[in-house]
Amino acid sequence: MEIITVCGMGFGTSLMLKMMVDDILEKEGIKAEVSALDAGSAKGRNADLIMASADLESALEAVEVSKIFIHNLTDADEVEQKLHDYLQKIHE
Amino acid sequence: MLKAIAEILTVPAITLGLVALLGLLLQKKEVTDVVKGTIKTILGILILGAGSSLIVTNLSPFATMFEEAFQLTGVVPVDEAVIAALVDSVAAIGRMTSFILLFGFLTNIVLARLTPFKYIFLTGHMMWILAGALAWAFHDLGVSETYGIIFGSIIHGIVLVLLPAISQPIVRKITGNDKVAYGHLTTTGVVASAWVGKVFGNKEQDSEKIKMPEKLSFFKDTAVSVSLIMFIIYIITALFAGPEVVNPLSDGQNYLVFSTLNALGFAAGVLVLLQGVRMFLGEIVPAFRGIALKIVPGAKPALDVPIFFPYAPNALMLGFLFSIIGMIVGMLVSTLFGTIVPLPSIIGGFFTGGIAGIFGNAMGGRRGAMISGLTYGIILTVPVALFYPLFGLEVYGVEGLAFLVPDGIIVLALIKLFFTLDIPIIGFIALLAAFILLSMFYKKKTSLES
Repeated sequence: MEIITVCGMGFGTSLMLKMMVDDILEKEGIKAEVSALDAGSAKGRNADLIMASADLESALEAVEVSKIFIHNLTDADEVEQKLHDYLQKIHE
Repeated sequence: MLKAIAEILTVPAITLGLVALLGLLLQKKEVTDVVKGTIKTILGILILGAGSSLIVTNLSPFATMFEEAFQLTGVVPVDEAVIAALVDSVAAIGRMTSFILLFGFLTNIVLARLTPFKYIFLTGHMMWILAGALAWAFHDLGVSETYGIIFGSIIHGIVLVLLPAISQPIVRKITGNDKVAYGHLTTTGVVASAWVGKVFGNKEQDSEKIKMPEKLSFFKDTAVSVSLIMFIIYIITALFAGPEVVNPLSDGQNYLVFSTLNALGFAAGVLVLLQGVRMFLGEIVPAFRGIALKIVPGAKPALDVPIFFPYAPNALMLGFLFSIIGMIVGMLVSTLFGTIVPLPSIIGGFFTGGIAGIFGNAMGGRRGAMISGLTYGIILTVPVALFYPLFGLEVYGVEGLAFLVPDGIIVLALIKLFFTLDIPIIGFIALLAAFILLSMFYKKKTSLES
């Protein structure tokens, strides 16, 4: 599985989000490649899931990959809950 | 043989690769992750170097054009490009940068553990820029590599824990909690701007009650914003310079076509450079974080700008727009000094000008956000022009670029001051004493609050 975390520059917020996601996946025992990218490069990539801050919603509109938008990036519970829901959905 | 080994180990890219290797080994990662992380760090630095030479190539004809058109030296302030170019052209600066980054971060962890400043600075590119700036300053002042690394690392670590503490009172207002901090080398600039915003603002009128155009959000895409702004700057300059100035540079190509291609080439260089930054930070930051969280329980991560965007998107836009106006005012003011004229930094405007808006809104509402953005734009240009002659860039073959971040400028200007007064050690001891006093004061204050 490949997950991309996205922010404007591709090494600030996206990297923080990547680390949160890495921790959650490790806890759930799921192997996945998580990489941090900027909005521009994310469009050309073929990943399973894109995760980004809610303010990037319009910038990523055209991408046809499952997306999770986080409203409060400092809220680890929101990230975990949303990722958890996604993982359950694909397992069904 | 030994000499060959020493030679390869001290190539900047390899040194930073070893730093990553160490971090990954300390975290007991799997072999595949260790190999991948180390290689990607090394490649990241090499790509960064390639990006910086692309920027310099596309910038050199522009410097001539700007000079001829306005009889001024215009420079583009991009910290990453300045440090990348320095690391690339002087091996000693490259080595010192890697070591200051490593030991400076370790100092940050130790200070977070021992003092009441429980902040772990995690904005990787800012840590790297500060490390590079310190290496550059000490090298320029003729300090030996060893001493440069020792003093550089201690200053690096102290700055990394102090900056988040400066902005934390405002961050608490914005986020409503004390869980995260702001980790950026623009802290003094945005905090000072926010206070100006408070003085002239009105806290009752929150910026988030007005509607803002969604259209401006494409500025978040670095590729688009850098290209557009550089295109405008290049074309205006070319029109003022005229074909007779540009034709000898363009080798027969139409002068407007030439300028357009150069503007886009500059943007391409920035993208390549950022790709390099992305690659090595993607490996090094998680490695560092793993170590930090193990050693300092209850540490607060000091994070990058966009963490705060969702709290006040309107203030972000106001801050961005008004910081651009502030930068244009700053450009005009800078022409008075006869040094260089910093061109508006669009990345700085969007990201950190936006933060100035958000901080300003927290302190003084809508008007506070506008005034804070405007003030910040001036802070992002005028000091750049004043600071430029203090340390050499052109002697290292770096032309057309300037160093931008306000906190970095303050630190380097202080170092220069104490060296000029010929009392660098007294300056260093004063720094340590001030830090100890501050941490005692901070401890008292936090224990009163809780």
